[in-house]
Amino acid sequence: MRQGIVFQLNGEETVYEGSATDRLLDVLREEYRLTGVKCGCKEGECGSCSVLIDDKLVNSCMVAMGRVQGSSVVTIEGFSKTERFKVLDAAYASVSAVQCGYCIPGMILASNCILSKNPTPTEADIREGISGNLCRCTGYNAIVKAIQIAAKEGEGLW
Amino acid sequence: MVNGFVPTSLEEALKIRAANDVIPYAGGTDLMIGERREGAYLFLNRVPELKIVKREGDVLRLGAGCTFSELIEHPETPALLKEALQRIAAPAIRNEATIGGNIANGSAKADSALIFFVADAKLKLASTAGERVIPIKAFYLGRKKLDLRPNELITEILLPTKWLTPYYYQKVGARKALAISRLSFAGLMHIENGVIEHCATAFGAVSAVVLRRDDIDAMLVGKTVEQAKQIRGEYLAAYRQAIDPIKGRVSSEYRKMVCMNLLEDFLEANGI
Repeated sequence: MRQGIVFQLNGEETVYEGSATDRLLDVLREEYRLTGVKCGCKEGECGSCSVLIDDKLVNSCMVAMGRVQGSSVVTIEGFSKTERFKVLDAAYASVSAVQCGYCIPGMILASNCILSKNPTPTEADIREGISGNLCRCTGYNAIVKAIQIAAKEGEGLW
Repeated sequence: MVNGFVPTSLEEALKIRAANDVIPYAGGTDLMIGERREGAYLFLNRVPELKIVKREGDVLRLGAGCTFSELIEHPETPALLKEALQRIAAPAIRNEATIGGNIANGSAKADSALIFFVADAKLKLASTAGERVIPIKAFYLGRKKLDLRPNELITEILLPTKWLTPYYYQKVGARKALAISRLSFAGLMHIENGVIEHCATAFGAVSAVVLRRDDIDAMLVGKTVEQAKQIRGEYLAAYRQAIDPIKGRVSSEYRKMVCMNLLEDFLEANGI
């Protein structure tokens, strides 16, 4: 008797009946239509497919479905319902840290992980925290600034 | 579950490994990219025995399933290993990638493996038939060729910590983040009252397997710094002979020159 993969997806218990070797990125986008998870390079180089697994930043292109059995997966769609998101959203908007937007779902989740680890990060901490998330538009400075603003405005949230 | 097994104990994992043709999945960060072999995965992320970090005298037992991030944050992790792990990839990869996976991938570019080589670490391999412990140098038979039987899993890395400080470590990559080593070097030298008690070096990304020539390093052991200075040329010549770099994205001449520069810098840093 075989059963599916049971995991939390954006807070809801979910059972995936497909193969345990399927790529999390593909399943999130195609099976669950969570297209905020972007596919950039499919080799862990760009970070645009970042999701949270048990609150940690992970590239969903490098994860097979069996890995998430018993885990919690949060995508930008789930994260966008949080207070933390609102603070990051406003901070990014305030300094125009978004241009084409493709990297932003991953960048926002990476920002959350930086602040979760240290609510008052240094600029070096921030740059290290987004080092796996490529952005070809902004040159990063605006993003770093946005995270600094979020740290200030979101005091107590992280 | 279709095409997958998620054991929650080592015993269960080894039984599955013995009874099925499965592909061990540790962090998945190498497995999931590139060409993927068809077959069921044995997911190891829920096996608690593979997560241990335990000091036993001069040896640190590291579970093969420890992720880079877990070890970077662990207070027992020696500074040299921590520095090497911090320079691998980026946070999202370090959160999943494991030291056991880095070794099992069989690459001479594996940055954590370099540290285990220079430290002369041993690996604990287990199957339902029992355990065996072998030096990491013996485990690597060639590029992507490992002394791992089809029913075995790497369960622990036994890391001797006595000589791990002070250390010399350099990773040469094309950029700061997400860089695969073009070359890496680690050197350990312990000088007590002017006498070299221990000398160990390892070169990553130069040949099919991490280069660890303890026979050459032995030339300096037991010598005073003054004596070491006299045979410095001989020591360097032995390495110049031993290093025959593979050609890759960078030329073998470049690799060799950087190897020798780093080796000389390591000696100079120790007053030799």
